[in-house]
Amino acid sequence: MSQSPVTAPSFGSQAATVGRRMVNSNIAPIIVALVIVSVALSFLTPNFLTASNLTNIVTQSAVVGIAAIGATFVIITSGIDLAVGSNIALSGMLGAIAAKATDNGFVGILVVILVAAGVGAVNGASVAWLRLAPFIVTLAVMGMARGLTLQISQGQSVYSLPGELNWLGSSAILDVKTSALVTVVMFLIAHFVLSRTTFGHRVYAVGGNAEAARLAGINVRGVIFAAYVIAGITAGVAAIILLGRLDSATPNAANGTELQVIAAVVIGGTSLFGGKGSMLGTLIGVLLIGVINNGLTLLNVSSFWVQFVQGALIFLAVLLDSFNTRRLTRRTAS
Amino acid sequence: MKSADPALVSLEGVSKSFGSVQVLHEVGFALDGGTVTGLVGENGAGKSTLIRILSGATAPSAGTVTLDGRPLPSTPHAVIAVGVSVIYQELTDIPDMSLLENVLLGNLTARGGIKRQRENRRRARQGLARVGLGHVDLDTPIRSLSIAQRQLAEIARCLVREARVLVLDEPTSALPERDVETLLEVVRGLRDEGLAILYVTHHLDELFEIADRLVVLRDGRKVGDGPIAEWDEPTLVRTMLAKDLDEAYPWRERALGETVLVADGIQAPGVRGASVTARAAEIVGLVGLAGAGRTELMRALSGVSPVSSGTITVDGIPVRPGSLRAAIRRGLLYAPEDRKQDGLVLTGSIESNLFYGDYREVSRFGMLRPRAALRRASRIGQDYSIRLRSPRQAVGELSGGNQQKVVVARLSERAPRVAFFDDPTRGVDVGAKSGIYAQIFDLAERGTAVFVCSSDTDEVLAVADRVYVLAAGQIVAELPRDRFEREQILHLASGGANQNGAVKS
Repeated sequence: MSQSPVTAPSFGSQAATVGRRMVNSNIAPIIVALVIVSVALSFLTPNFLTASNLTNIVTQSAVVGIAAIGATFVIITSGIDLAVGSNIALSGMLGAIAAKATDNGFVGILVVILVAAGVGAVNGASVAWLRLAPFIVTLAVMGMARGLTLQISQGQSVYSLPGELNWLGSSAILDVKTSALVTVVMFLIAHFVLSRTTFGHRVYAVGGNAEAARLAGINVRGVIFAAYVIAGITAGVAAIILLGRLDSATPNAANGTELQVIAAVVIGGTSLFGGKGSMLGTLIGVLLIGVINNGLTLLNVSSFWVQFVQGALIFLAVLLDSFNTRRLTRRTAS
Repeated sequence: MKSADPALVSLEGVSKSFGSVQVLHEVGFALDGGTVTGLVGENGAGKSTLIRILSGATAPSAGTVTLDGRPLPSTPHAVIAVGVSVIYQELTDIPDMSLLENVLLGNLTARGGIKRQRENRRRARQGLARVGLGHVDLDTPIRSLSIAQRQLAEIARCLVREARVLVLDEPTSALPERDVETLLEVVRGLRDEGLAILYVTHHLDELFEIADRLVVLRDGRKVGDGPIAEWDEPTLVRTMLAKDLDEAYPWRERALGETVLVADGIQAPGVRGASVTARAAEIVGLVGLAGAGRTELMRALSGVSPVSSGTITVDGIPVRPGSLRAAIRRGLLYAPEDRKQDGLVLTGSIESNLFYGDYREVSRFGMLRPRAALRRASRIGQDYSIRLRSPRQAVGELSGGNQQKVVVARLSERAPRVAFFDDPTRGVDVGAKSGIYAQIFDLAERGTAVFVCSSDTDEVLAVADRVYVLAAGQIVAELPRDRFEREQILHLASGGANQNGAVKS
């Protein structure tokens, strides 16, 4: 690679470019972390490195993982979605009630997705057009959605759902849980959308510099709105998986899930300042959290500590993010 | 009014560099008690840096600044404490507080943490009396006072702190005409009390009214220093401006096309009833002092900021004013003044930044074509002489000049009907400047109507086919290239009368 002031740029091979991009992004340290934690756990407990435990980790991570897909879009626009947990509960509850009432699981699925997308649309419209702060809006919506769920259900769970509604979260294809498959497929689609479509490109632009994006003719508000709707839809899919896993809708479902979701995204190298991040990073972040949760359980560590460790992970991730951002600003300030 | 007092503040060999850019070169002069020293120079001449040094906000890279023969302290707080106060262009008062509280901001007399009301009121009234505000009720909320009164209250705040040296940075830029004289009267009064005053302004006429002595900066160097009697306006302007800039921007005669843009009676924030036209392939310069409305006019014309009335047509077809998307659809593109803040996505790659907003060439059915994008990006990199290692490099790693080339390239590649370049060479070195203007010439030659403005008037005069001169949000003159005269234009821009029959629009 020539450093001299020639105007003709030299390129590495496509593979080298991908490799360099991975190093450039913030994924490298977390891959290392995932490997170290996994290796340590396989020494500490004989049960970790078994096929059933590893698929178990992916299955256990499905709800957080799928919700984290949408959250990645939102956070890259420099937004945040705190309502994801209560959105899962509300859409799941309404879907379960609709499915029971019509005795049709497909109606239930449709209702879940529509409600979840609707909650996302409320978030998105408030941020994009009412210009409210994402943190506050989604905090408010989080409260409202949870309250509605409790009110509608009168605090009671809904049991024995129609089979179609349970299928995604409880069945298996050739010994692989459908929830794990769905997670993987959704990550692949989301990765493609984010890295290979003009929409994905716009998402980065809006998060990186909304004013520059606007002046370049990008519909900034439309992009922000779409990101929150996507986050709503992924919350809906996560809700369906949760319904199937529990064979019921409970009003307190996914309480606090937003914390794990945001943790996974941020640990995966997506910047809370916006404009930077990747689906691959989020996937690894989800797996890291899954592995740590699983490991702590296998090691019989109190579940209270699990929550502490998750908090500490977010702290570290945000610290790293802040350092990286400051380094970039300093470099560009000169 | 000369006084025999020794120099209060004295600058010797003051230099300042930011990174590799030297903005002040061994500047030296003294501020005497009982004297108003006028400091002039074009934007970028180093005035602001000098003020920042005097305020303690930044330290000189070399040289010394002394007060009463002792080194000036190095923090703003300590500088104020020893009696040097800077009054900035923008008001720094707290609108919701009373006049009393503002004047004594950070300087209340207290005993054991309890305010001493009577003493405080006495001090505030004393300070206010010196700026002619002795009659105003101390408990008036400061927001209900006029801008001029608030400006005077800021001066009073410095006086209460026993300032002996006052630096006034463009004190009249926000004032209506009739209040300027009041302010000058106050400044004269303070000079007669024995204060040393540094008066920084673009308004040359004010200097001839108030200054006892003038110091002229150009490109960070002191190029003139002498009592006011030795100066007249033409000499001053000639001293302020460099003469050899024409050569850096070789202007070429172009065949101009049809009129593309017609804007009539544009009213917008900072723009008062401006009417402009531009022809295909024409480069139209907007000249004016800072705050005259150059940026505001460009933003209004290009749909970036709202327009309250007026019409805009492109190729004879009306464009809804104030609608960015309508403007872009009709081929009006704006390159903002502050590329880092508004022009680039710094977290993105060079490649990404070249395509934001226009994916026609690099996507199919909403899907990006990475190979096509890379090919195109490296082609653009070559065409626009952007010094890069790879198009996938972060745009933030480029130098300022090369970042600006990315902005210019993105805009030019969309083949706009009308392009607006708002201070395109801000903060870039001379080499990159002529590179950027070369791109702008090319764009014009391909038939785009180009508007350009700059904090450097000479630069605009060097590249434009025609200029509009702006003052206080209004177009005060329109001049074709064969009638470009620096002195005349600068005179018009500083609000002077139209002498040589420039076309008034």
